[in-house]
Amino acid sequence: MSVEEARREFVELLGEENVSWEPAVLDCYAWQPTFNDDPDRWVKRPVAVVLPSSTEEVQEVVRICNRHGLRFKSFSTGWGAWNGPTFDNVVQVDLRRMDRIVEIDAKNMYAVIEPYVNGAQLQAEAMKVGLNTHIIGAGPNCSPLASATSGWGVGHDSIYMSYSARNLLGVEWVLPDGEVLRLGTLGSSGEWFNGDGPGPSLRGIMRGSCGALSGLGIFTRCALKLYNWPGPPEMEIDGIMLDAKMEVPENIGYYMCFFPDRKAFSDAMYKLGEAEIAYNALATSFGGYFDILTPRLFRKIEHADSIRSMIVNTFKYTLAILFAANSARELAYQEKVLHAIVREHGGFAMDVTRIKDFFSMLFMSFVRATIPALVFRMGGSFSTALDRNDALDSQAAWREVVREIKEGYIRKGQILDDLADNPYFVPYENNTWCHCEVVYQYDPRDPKHREALEPIFLDVTIAAIERCMEPLFTSDPRVRRLISPLAGNFSKYQQAISRGLDPKQAADNTLYSAEADFDFSGIDPQRVRRLQEVVEQRRW
Amino acid sequence: MALQDYLRDMEGCSRCSSCKWVPFNQVKSWRFAKNCPSVTRHNLHAFSGSGKMIMGLSMVSGRSELNDTVTEIIYRCQLCGACDTACKVYRDDIDLMDVLLALRAHCVEQGQLIPEHMLTIDALKREDNVFGEPKARRGDWAEGLDVKDAVGEKPQVLFHAGCRYSYDPDLRETVRGAVRLLRSAGVDLGIAGADEACCGGRAFELGYQGESENFADDMVSRVKATGASVLVTACSDCYAAFNYLYPRMGKELGVELYHITQYLEKLAGEGRLRLRQRVPKLVTWHDPCHLGRKSEPFTGEWKGDKLLRPVTMKRTGKKGVYDAPRNVLKSIPGIELVEMERIKGYAWCCGAGGGVLEAFPEFAAWTAAERIEEALATGAEALVTSCPWCLRIFRDAVEETGALLEVYDLTELALVSAGEGVLAGGAAR
Ligand SMILES: Cc1cc2nc3c(=O)[nH]c(=O)nc-3n(C[C@H](O)[C@H](O)[C@H](O)COP(=O)(O)OP(=O)(O)OC[C@H]3O[C@@H](n4cnc5c(N)ncnc54)[C@H](O)[C@@H]3O)c2cc1C
Ligand code: SF4
Ligand code: SF4
Repeated sequence: MSVEEARREFVELLGEENVSWEPAVLDCYAWQPTFNDDPDRWVKRPVAVVLPSSTEEVQEVVRICNRHGLRFKSFSTGWGAWNGPTFDNVVQVDLRRMDRIVEIDAKNMYAVIEPYVNGAQLQAEAMKVGLNTHIIGAGPNCSPLASATSGWGVGHDSIYMSYSARNLLGVEWVLPDGEVLRLGTLGSSGEWFNGDGPGPSLRGIMRGSCGALSGLGIFTRCALKLYNWPGPPEMEIDGIMLDAKMEVPENIGYYMCFFPDRKAFSDAMYKLGEAEIAYNALATSFGGYFDILTPRLFRKIEHADSIRSMIVNTFKYTLAILFAANSARELAYQEKVLHAIVREHGGFAMDVTRIKDFFSMLFMSFVRATIPALVFRMGGSFSTALDRNDALDSQAAWREVVREIKEGYIRKGQILDDLADNPYFVPYENNTWCHCEVVYQYDPRDPKHREALEPIFLDVTIAAIERCMEPLFTSDPRVRRLISPLAGNFSKYQQAISRGLDPKQAADNTLYSAEADFDFSGIDPQRVRRLQEVVEQRRW
Repeated sequence: MALQDYLRDMEGCSRCSSCKWVPFNQVKSWRFAKNCPSVTRHNLHAFSGSGKMIMGLSMVSGRSELNDTVTEIIYRCQLCGACDTACKVYRDDIDLMDVLLALRAHCVEQGQLIPEHMLTIDALKREDNVFGEPKARRGDWAEGLDVKDAVGEKPQVLFHAGCRYSYDPDLRETVRGAVRLLRSAGVDLGIAGADEACCGGRAFELGYQGESENFADDMVSRVKATGASVLVTACSDCYAAFNYLYPRMGKELGVELYHITQYLEKLAGEGRLRLRQRVPKLVTWHDPCHLGRKSEPFTGEWKGDKLLRPVTMKRTGKKGVYDAPRNVLKSIPGIELVEMERIKGYAWCCGAGGGVLEAFPEFAAWTAAERIEEALATGAEALVTSCPWCLRIFRDAVEETGALLEVYDLTELALVSAGEGVLAGGAAR
C-alpha cells in the first residue's frame, strides 16, 4: 500500500485543488454525528479526499485505489454516519462536482441526473414542465440519485411516488474494479427509459432493499421516473420556513384527519389507498410536530401528565393528506371521497387550506419535505427505532409497541419527552405497504442520554424480532449478524456478491456486507438473554 | 468570545449541508440554488460554513492544527452570512457567523496572518482608512458641494461616506450625487471630511477585533462631537458595523441611524424628496450582505444552552434592510423591478467582502460574475444596489466579462428621477 504514491496520482488526475490530505480538511469528512451513537461522533479520518468531475475520473480514482491497496467510500451529499470511512485506508470520494441535471424528458417523464443534484433542484426544474420527483423524508438537501441507487428511500410523497429504488430507470455504475456497467435500456440502446432492460437489470444485486451504501462501487448517473405535478410551475412563497406565507395554489387540498382509534385509522387508510386520491400522506405525530415547532414550550411541559395525556389522546390517530388535482372537479371528487371515508370511520377532517398561515408553513414541508432537519431543534440529536417496511396495520400496531418502550425511557429522563409518539409513518403506493420508523430525541451532550442509546436500541431490536418486523438498520454489521440467520442468511449472499464484484475489496463495504458482534458488556443480562432467546426461536 | 467558547455550536453541526443552499422552499432552479461562494467555487466541504466549523472543532479538540492551508480556507470566504441564514432555518443552537468570526480572530491570535490583510490593517493604523490613502484627503470627494462641515457647523444630519466612497475616484460622482440628492430634499447635512475615519468593521471581519474596537471608540466620540442627531451612511458595510457590530461591542453612537436607502424612503414618505422624472428601465436589485442579513440588529448575548434561547434573540437575517430600497425603486416612475432568484436574507454575495477582494481577487471576481449571470437571467437591463463595495466589483465584473448590463447605485437613479442628474455610461452625472 502506498498512500503517498496514490495521493500523487490523484493530484495528477484531478489537479491540486480537487485533492486534499490536510488533517483539518479530512476531519470535515470524519465528523459524522448524525445517526452516530458512538459518543465520540468522529468516524475514521480518510487518508485523502478526492473530487472527481466525470465518470472517467471516478473510474480512474477507483483504479488508483485498487492499485495501491486503498479502499474508497463515495457519497453524494454526505449526511449521516454511513458516509464516513470504516477502515484506516479509505479515500473519500466526494461527488459534489458531478452536479448536473443531464436531461429532463418531459414526454417520457424521466430525468437523468448526476449525484450532486439535490431534491429541491430537481423538483424545481421538473415542476416547470408539470412534473415532480420523489423526495425522501430526510429532505430536499439529499441527492435523489443517492437514495435511488444506494440507500433507503421513503418520503412523504411515497403514497403517490413510491420508494426511491422503485423509480430507478437507467443506471451508470462504476464497479469496484473501475469498469463501468450500464443497466437497463442504457446498457443495450444507450437510452435511459427502463431500468430492467432490454439490457442487464441486476436491480436486486445493485440496490436490493437497503442499498449498498457505496459498498459495491460508485453510481455516476441515473435516470429517475418523474410524476405528474398539476400544481403551479413555480411556487410563490414569501419567507423561508416557519415564517412562510403563500396563497393556496389552485386545485390543491390539504386535510388533517382525526380518527377515534387504531382500527378506524388503519381501515380508513386502506380505503383511502384503494380510492387512489392522495398525492402525499403521512400519519402525523403531534408530539413530533410540537417538539420541532415549539421546542422550548415543549421542554417546559415535559412530564406534565395532564397536558401530555390531553394532547396524546386527542391527536393519537391523525393523518395528514394532500391532494394535487388536475382540475377543480377532480379536487371536489377527492374531497368528497375523503369526507365519506373519514365519516364512515368515525373521524373528522379539518381543511388546512382554510388556516392560511398553518397551510403556508406546512405546504412545502410536505411537497418538498423541507422540514426534517428541524428535528435537531428539540435536543440536538435523534435516532430511530429499528424497523422499516411492512403491512400498514402491522405498522400501526408497531408504533404503539415502541411508544411503550419510549415511555419508560422518557420517565427516567433518558430521552427527551416527545409524548413518546413520534413515528415517521408513511404508506407506499396507495398502501400496498407502509413505513414506520419511530423517532426518539436526545441531547448528545447529556451523559444520561448517551448511556441510554444502546439499551433503547436493544429493546426495540428485541421487540422487532419478537414481532417478525422487517428491520431498518441492516447496514449495521452487528444487526446484520444478528438477523441474517432469521432472513435466509442474506449476509452470506451479500458477501459472495461483494467478493465477485470486488476481487481486491477496494470498496469500503462494512455497511454492505460485514458482520460484527454487539458489545453487551454493561447491558442488563436479562435483556441480552431475551435477545438470544428470540433470535434462537426465529432462526430459519 | 474565543473559538473554544463556541464548542457547542461547532459540535452541534449535523452536517446536513443546508448551509450550502438557498433555503429550500426558495430554490427556484438548478442554476441558482447554491448560496455559498466559498464552497461553490472550491468544493471541498471544508470551504462551506459547516466545514469551517468542523475545522474549528477539529482544532479545539486537538485533532489538527492551524497552518497556512487551513488559514487560507478560513479566509477564502466573504463572511457573507448566507450559510448562517440557511443554517438558522433549522437550528437555534448554532451561530455559524459568530464561529466564522471567532476562527479569524483565532488565526490572528495565533499569528496566522494573510499578508494582504496585514497591509489593510497597517493602512488603517496609519491613515484611518483601509486603502492607506492620506487621512488629510478623506474629504476631497466633497469639494465644492453645498454641505456643512460637521466639525463645528453642527448639522442635524451627519453623512458618513465610508472608506471606499471617500477614496475611490471612479465612485466619486456617485457619492457626490447622493449628497446632492439629500440637499435637494432640504436635509441639513454635514460631513466630517478629513475628520471622518473608518468604521472599523473591516478590521473586525479580518480577525483584528481589538483594532476594530479602537475604531469604534473613536467613531463614537467623533460622532458625538458633531452634535448631529441623525447619521446617514451610503455604505452598507458601515451601516452593518453601526447597527450590529457596535451594539455587540457595547458601543453606543447616540444618534438615529439610517442607511441612505432608508433615509430616502423616509424623505419620499414625508414628501420632501420628489421622484417625478421617468427613468424607464427594467432593473433588478442586489441586496448587499451588509445591508441585508448582516445589518440585522444585535439581539443580546445569551449565556445558557442555546437550545433554550428565546427565538427573539436568534439572528435569522430576516430583519435586514430589504423593503426600503425596493420601495424607493418602485416609487421612481418608469422603473420596473424584476427580482433575481436569490434575494433578501438568501441573496448571493457580490464577492468583495470579508477581505476576499484584497487577498483573493480572482475568487472575488468569480463570485461577482456569478451574480451578474443571475441578474442577466432576469432579463433586466440594469443591476441596482446600494453599497460602494458591491458597486465597484460589479462594474469591474461587467467590464471584464463584457456583460450587457448597466450597474447603478440606487441614489443615482433617484438623483435622475429627482431631476438633479442624467444617466451616462452606466452611472449618473
Ligand atoms: C435527519 C435524517 C432523516 C432521514 N430521513 C430519511 C427518510 O425519511 N427517508 C430515507 O429514505 N432516508 C432517510 N434518512 C437517511 C437518508 O437516506 C440518507 O441520510 C440520505 O441518503 C442522505 O443524503 P443523500 O441522499 O444525499 O446521500 P448521501 O448522504 O450522499 O449517501 C447516502 C449513502 O449512499 C452512499 N452513496 C451516496 N451516493 C453514492 C453514489 N453516487 N455511489 C455509491 N454510493 C453512494 C453513501 O456512501 C452513503 O452510504 C435520513 C437521514 C437523516 C440524517
Ligand atoms: S446547516 Fe448548520 S447544521 Fe447543517 S451542515 Fe451547515 S452548519 Fe451544520
Ligand atoms: S460566510 Fe458566505 S462565503 Fe463564507 S462560508 Fe458562509 S456562505 Fe460561504
